[in-house]
Amino acid sequence: MPLLTESKHFIRPDGPDKVTGSGRYVADISLTGMLTAKFLYAGVSHARITRLDISAARQVPGVFAVLTQEDVPERRFGSVADRTLFAKDVVRFEGEVIAAVAAVDAEAAQQGLDAVVFEYEPLPAVTDLEAAIADGAQLVHEGWADYEAADVERDGNIASFTSMIRGDVEAGMAEADHVVSSRYVSDASQPAPIEPRGVLAQWEGDRVTIWSSTQVPFQARDGVCETLDLPTNRVRVIVPHMGGGFGGKCGFHYEAHVAALARAARRPVRLVFSRQEEFIAPDRRREGMIIEITTGLRNDGTLTARRARVLLDNGAYSSDASFFPHMAAMQTLGPYKIDNIHVEASSIYTNRQPSGSVRAPTAPQACWALESHTDELAAAIGMDPVAFRQQNCVDTGETGVAGQVYDEIGLQDCIREAVSAIDYSQELDENEAIGVAVGWWPSFPGPSGAFVKIDSDGKGVITTGAQECGTGSVMTLPILAAVELGMEPEDFELVYQDTSAAPYDEGATGSQTILNNGRATVEAAQQIAVQLKSLAAEKLEASPDDIVLADGKAHVAGSPELAVSIADLAGVAAEGEMLLGKGSGTPPEYPSAVGVDCIGDRGLSGWVGPQFSCHAVKIRLDRETGVVRVLDVSAAHDSGVIINPIGASGQVEGGVLMGIGQALTERTVYSEDGAQENPAFLDYKLQTIADAPPIRVHFVEIFTPGVGPHGSKPIAEAPNVATAAAISNAITKLVGRPVAQLPMTAERVWGLMQGRGGG
Amino acid sequence: MSFMIAGSLEEALTALAAGARPVAGGTDLVVGARQGKAPLPTSLVAIDRLAELTQIEPTDGGIRIGASVTHARLLTDPTIVSDYTALADAAALVGSPSTRNVGTLGGNVMNASPAMDTGAPLMVLGAVAEVQSERGSRTVDLSDLWTGPGQTSAKVDELCVAIDLPSRPARSGSAYVRLEYRRAMEIAVVGAAASVTLADDGTISDGSVALSAVAPTIIEVDGVAELMAGHLPDAVGAAIAAAVAEAAEPISDLRASDSYRRHTVGVMAARAVDAAARRAAGEEISVPVNRAIGVGASR
Ligand SMILES: Cc1cc2nc3c(=O)[nH]c(=O)nc-3n(C[C@H](O)[C@H](O)[C@H](O)COP(=O)(O)OP(=O)(O)OC[C@H]3O[C@@H](n4cnc5c(N)ncnc54)[C@H](O)[C@@H]3O)c2cc1C
Repeated sequence: MPLLTESKHFIRPDGPDKVTGSGRYVADISLTGMLTAKFLYAGVSHARITRLDISAARQVPGVFAVLTQEDVPERRFGSVADRTLFAKDVVRFEGEVIAAVAAVDAEAAQQGLDAVVFEYEPLPAVTDLEAAIADGAQLVHEGWADYEAADVERDGNIASFTSMIRGDVEAGMAEADHVVSSRYVSDASQPAPIEPRGVLAQWEGDRVTIWSSTQVPFQARDGVCETLDLPTNRVRVIVPHMGGGFGGKCGFHYEAHVAALARAARRPVRLVFSRQEEFIAPDRRREGMIIEITTGLRNDGTLTARRARVLLDNGAYSSDASFFPHMAAMQTLGPYKIDNIHVEASSIYTNRQPSGSVRAPTAPQACWALESHTDELAAAIGMDPVAFRQQNCVDTGETGVAGQVYDEIGLQDCIREAVSAIDYSQELDENEAIGVAVGWWPSFPGPSGAFVKIDSDGKGVITTGAQECGTGSVMTLPILAAVELGMEPEDFELVYQDTSAAPYDEGATGSQTILNNGRATVEAAQQIAVQLKSLAAEKLEASPDDIVLADGKAHVAGSPELAVSIADLAGVAAEGEMLLGKGSGTPPEYPSAVGVDCIGDRGLSGWVGPQFSCHAVKIRLDRETGVVRVLDVSAAHDSGVIINPIGASGQVEGGVLMGIGQALTERTVYSEDGAQENPAFLDYKLQTIADAPPIRVHFVEIFTPGVGPHGSKPIAEAPNVATAAAISNAITKLVGRPVAQLPMTAERVWGLMQGRGGG
Repeated sequence: MSFMIAGSLEEALTALAAGARPVAGGTDLVVGARQGKAPLPTSLVAIDRLAELTQIEPTDGGIRIGASVTHARLLTDPTIVSDYTALADAAALVGSPSTRNVGTLGGNVMNASPAMDTGAPLMVLGAVAEVQSERGSRTVDLSDLWTGPGQTSAKVDELCVAIDLPSRPARSGSAYVRLEYRRAMEIAVVGAAASVTLADDGTISDGSVALSAVAPTIIEVDGVAELMAGHLPDAVGAAIAAAVAEAAEPISDLRASDSYRRHTVGVMAARAVDAAARRAAGEEISVPVNRAIGVGASR
């Protein structure tokens, strides 16, 4: 396929704004008469509300509105409808919103909050996953059985359950020469976007405009409509530039609270989170997990059976997390050939911050466990872990764990490339080691729409429902339109992130923008191509089928001199039938998974456009302190054909760096009663640019039909799967056993060397 | 709330006498207030524009560093780097480039965090603080200055105007080594500074060790000089680590357990002594020593 060679040097249209500071974010926008919003949070993990009195707060000078659940419709929402906008009767985590205040300034808003009378009777906090599913455990949701939740398998504190069974595990284990069991525990971590979120709402009559730093404007809009009883066309969500999300700004968050405040106050109202709020309140953190895996294998390396049990910390509410058990089950099985499997995964209610989609939900932790376990398997038969993977990983035409037969895939190439780029067989210092891990991740087809128009001077505008979360996906759409129309990406401007201007899109979630909105943009551009060809055919006295669009012109095939510029054609069209295209296309269908018996099936056993990766890392260990430094990384990815190499490489580099953080330093620490102890960057340790090792990115480009445009597959989440796993395997080579706790902090590594902990 | 930018030292001292708190770079004061550590004082006087506080100048017996000298200057000043290297090591590790460009030595010292980075180096280098008020000026030993976490013995009207360091003996070297989990924006989990003087035969004739983040204040370890005297630097590591682990009174918190701190502070101290001795012997070890010798496996 002719992909733009120019795309190699394509400068993203929002780049200059963001780099120079001229870009505007929600916190930069202010409207005349605007008020400041603040929330009163529960500050207790589990309690029954005994008194909530806002009458004094409403009297505080400068306070215009104070709201609680009493003031909004009684609507429950979430993938399990277990939540209301404000706490009702019971609070289930410390960051639950009790009341909201809008006031002339932050000080008055704080005084308003201080005047709210909030009394409660503490309930025992559920924080231990095993205890939460034991008989007689304290329930997080007494009324769980009454919640609506289509297709979610639930029971008491089990918010969502999935099992996958294929073949005969008992028989498989009986055939094994070795049976290896491992237990791994991962702490929770955070998306940590650089911009703490902002929401600004303004009513005009019975319509509301909401500026929000959301990754999913249409979901945000629909959440407002659902909880405040409004039709979709009276709620307009606009996203100015957004300062990162990593999943943290997916889902429906505080748009309804702020809209309700603005309506009550009869003034525009703006909420801007502090960093601490950004840590504590959103229903989006990476879930803690307990992963137990037992695998049978033969002396020749053949995998005969796998049994696994995964417990995920769901937190207090289900947000979008009810598909996580199915996802975690697939990640615990991995891109391997095993015919006999039995996995059970449960997401368990606790009185902690709710878990929700953070970049590749469940994958970094589960892959870390699986791939650490895989090195243990290789060690059990004395085989090199790379050779072990080459033998056991799926390849083109082979059948995966869930019975899916793969078309052309590049996992084996990824292994070869990653291993060769890191120079796997190099001489290493006694404190250095190289670890290798493979990863996989699905694509998420869905509905999405775009409009393209070309105006009288031949310049175009793409109006898309897609959301730019910083990855550059939306910024890549002009490349796709340009390819269809023989134009340059720079010929297109973008109108995006406005639910009233553009058709629906699922948002910056599930790495789906190019896959779905790319498809829509291509279809819209193709409609214009048809129009241009027919206009050119008339002008050049040729058949439309013989017209070629290239280099800003329409010419007759084989006779480039018989040409007319697209600008001229656009001028003609502007006088009559205009150049307007619209597209959505048909999303790819999910392949079936053959022979899997699945309870709590979330449709994730058969994967569309599976993406594969192999990461290899070289580390150095300070043996006296347990501090690990990553010295070198190679990351090879099969994401199909790469449309925008600069953008795609950036995704891999960022994913790897995030993976290093998850591997070594990032964790949310909880007190016994469920409160976060480090909701600030002082003690929640992201990696910094000074920590970044060289990251060698390699794409195994295989034209993959039936997924994204031009044979592409998605890329944004896949790089955040295998890094922590590769680091774990490198550490194990130096200390003899897996650390088995994530993150693998210096003190944990040191403890293992002292004979404490470890798997 | 009142805020004043002092145009002269007198103005600053008058403001302090009237109850204002000084702000230099604000990287502790302002950031701490934002994090809810302590509210901003209701009356503030900015001292960052006072030229007399930003000098590094030789004195009869050594060197005088103005309180408002930034970390960025400390880590590049030729005299500090060559003679008071441990201080440069510490300044180079503070925060990020922006923190180092704004944060000052006086602010670090007067903030009196037990995890401060310049404290242990200043202690092994024998520094004293010059404090001044409308009532006059005096010098204070650092061991008398720091009285607890965030606590100093300076009176509220006293401004730290400079830190005085004595000149260095011949064949001496110093180093500051910090345990870090990452390479920027880190706060000391533990840290150790050492000063070592060598005799002509290459054995240690004198030395000292001070520790960060293992007690309510920066502490100097007793008996270190005696422990090291007469030994070759290679031979003292284990004894230093043991003495340090003994002297430390670490707590357990989010960053580390007490036992891990007790162990690693010994490791840091042994490495600081080693680096200081090598510098004393004339070896060039670039600043900060953390990078040069691979603390935290950073090689
Ligand atoms: C992101 C970040 C990273 C950091 N990393 C480190 C680090 O790695 N190591 C480290 O040690 N510190 C670190 N710090 C803390 C801080 O930057 C340093 O302590 C810095 O030296 C403080 O200097 P300042 O001029 O900004 O102090 P200010 O904040 O202006 O003042 C600090 C305190 O000292 C008082 N004060 C200031 N000057 C004087 C004076 N001349 N006389 C009397 N009292 C005075 C103030 O009233 C205030 O109480 C970090 C801070 C931040 C924000």
